[in-house]
Amino acid sequence: MVLTSRERVARCLARQPHDRVPLFDWFWSETEADYVARIGDPRLGCGIHAAQAGYHERLTLWEYFDFDLMQVAWPDQRLRMVEPEVLEETDEWVLQRDGNEAVLRWWKHKMGTPEHVRFGIDSPEKWFQVKHLLRPSRQRVRWDEFWPRWRRAKAAGKFICFAGVEIIESVKDTLGHEMMCKALIKQPEWIRDVFETYTQFEIDMFHLVEAEGMVCDGAFIYGDIAYKNGPFMSPRHYREFVFPCHKRFFDEFHRRGMPVILHSDGDIRPLIPHFIEAGVDMINPLESRAGMDVRQLALQYGERLGFCGNIDVMVLATNDRQRIHAELESKMSAAMKYRGYMYHSDHSIPPGVTLETYRWLLDEVRRLGRYE
Amino acid sequence: MSILDQIAQAVLEGDEQTAPRLVQQALDENLPASQVLQDGLLKGMNEVGRRFREGEYFIPEVLVAAEAMKAGAAVLKPHLVRAGVRPEWTAVIGTVQGDLHDIGKNLVATMLEGAGFEVLDLGVDVPPEKFVAACRQRPVHVVGLSALLTTTMPMMETTIAHLKQSLDHPPPVIVGGAPVSQAFADKIGAAGYGPDAATGAEVAKRLCLAGRS
Repeated sequence: MVLTSRERVARCLARQPHDRVPLFDWFWSETEADYVARIGDPRLGCGIHAAQAGYHERLTLWEYFDFDLMQVAWPDQRLRMVEPEVLEETDEWVLQRDGNEAVLRWWKHKMGTPEHVRFGIDSPEKWFQVKHLLRPSRQRVRWDEFWPRWRRAKAAGKFICFAGVEIIESVKDTLGHEMMCKALIKQPEWIRDVFETYTQFEIDMFHLVEAEGMVCDGAFIYGDIAYKNGPFMSPRHYREFVFPCHKRFFDEFHRRGMPVILHSDGDIRPLIPHFIEAGVDMINPLESRAGMDVRQLALQYGERLGFCGNIDVMVLATNDRQRIHAELESKMSAAMKYRGYMYHSDHSIPPGVTLETYRWLLDEVRRLGRYE
Repeated sequence: MSILDQIAQAVLEGDEQTAPRLVQQALDENLPASQVLQDGLLKGMNEVGRRFREGEYFIPEVLVAAEAMKAGAAVLKPHLVRAGVRPEWTAVIGTVQGDLHDIGKNLVATMLEGAGFEVLDLGVDVPPEKFVAACRQRPVHVVGLSALLTTTMPMMETTIAHLKQSLDHPPPVIVGGAPVSQAFADKIGAAGYGPDAATGAEVAKRLCLAGRS
């Protein structure tokens, strides 16, 4: 059986027979820059090249490593699409107010979660003054970046995913985790309005992208639903406030035959049955340090759900090929029994995983991931 | 239900209006401020911590309970000051140098206050020298270090070493955060590890009680 990437991922998502485990992954920006520099291929580009002419025609690492999936679209979710206002800065960090009126402190030269200093939208009154700004618009998509990627992926037979975020990811950028969590109990009607407004916006942006002709095979939706010790909210609150929005959003993709891959770090196990009911076809990245283990999850859900990830970045960062082989062999063999497994690290490839190790890792995945 | 149990219940339910009202009522009934604190507000937060550890409460429930506790504590504070009642222990807490993550650290600070600590929150991106300086300014009974990233975890070991080198009697250090584990805590010489905010506060309290004895 020789399949295109598009066929391979589609069959994997449907848990139908296919030739081998598909591949996808994410990299820390430092890792991406390091790999691109070491590879030294002038066709390759990454974030540090973004300001250069012709950047968008450069290949991504995803293409260089021949991953099976390409992400496009990534609509801008900010209330106002403005350059952040710099409030204070040093050589190391910058304090800025962004288009969501959130004041955040970011490292200048490395990736990482920002410091949440304060959030400007901190009351229903302020929300109702700004919610009208969340309008779908062509300006919210970087077409000059994603059209070249979409065309190349189409020509290469890749599985193309509409990439975006779900409501918890969006809302925490506007209200902050703390305000969002407290509002579930203290101001439920307000937070319900916020969630529903963002859901409609996300659906409208998907429709806009589709209407422009950027037709995709699936959806890869990024969320911020859990942390190491569990979901940010109880299953009861998820069911009451978030589930209806997720179901409405994911139904839009399913109506077009597009499967849904949902990303959330952390321990999402209490919510998995709800995700399945909401229409999630595959979950990602399955953080090991949060207790996610595809060997157990496949036993429980393998006939209803696909898995993309769980290869422990802490093991990869040892660059110990024996340990990495054991990690791959143990997890892939368990997950492959149900034919719904896609390779991905359990988070993002950190600095410290050498390019040599990573190349070897992908060869191992392709070898171990072959179905007889 | 006694007035103190009602206060505890108001905290448990995150009732920011009722908790301070009942605290005032308890004071009006001439209950000692320290008793209202221990057997009312902190008892409620203690139960919040237990439910959080057991997976019955999640972050929203903990946050609103903390607000109710703080609202009650605001009424109580002048009475505690007049009576010379101070928290028995002081905790210094911060996210280590190079790391800007604050959500987990803030939750631990909340749980430490709920366990009766006075908390000195140094914020994020805290260099080892700043932890040392905080421990020199006043008696500190425990230091809490938070890190979100595998790349910033090593700063925990650096900070612990700096505390040991710089202070005659360095306080015990507990560590926590997404990439941190008990094995890592043991390896770097931390006195304790908190897999979650509520357990972290409990570990801190145990260390202080052990230090007292």
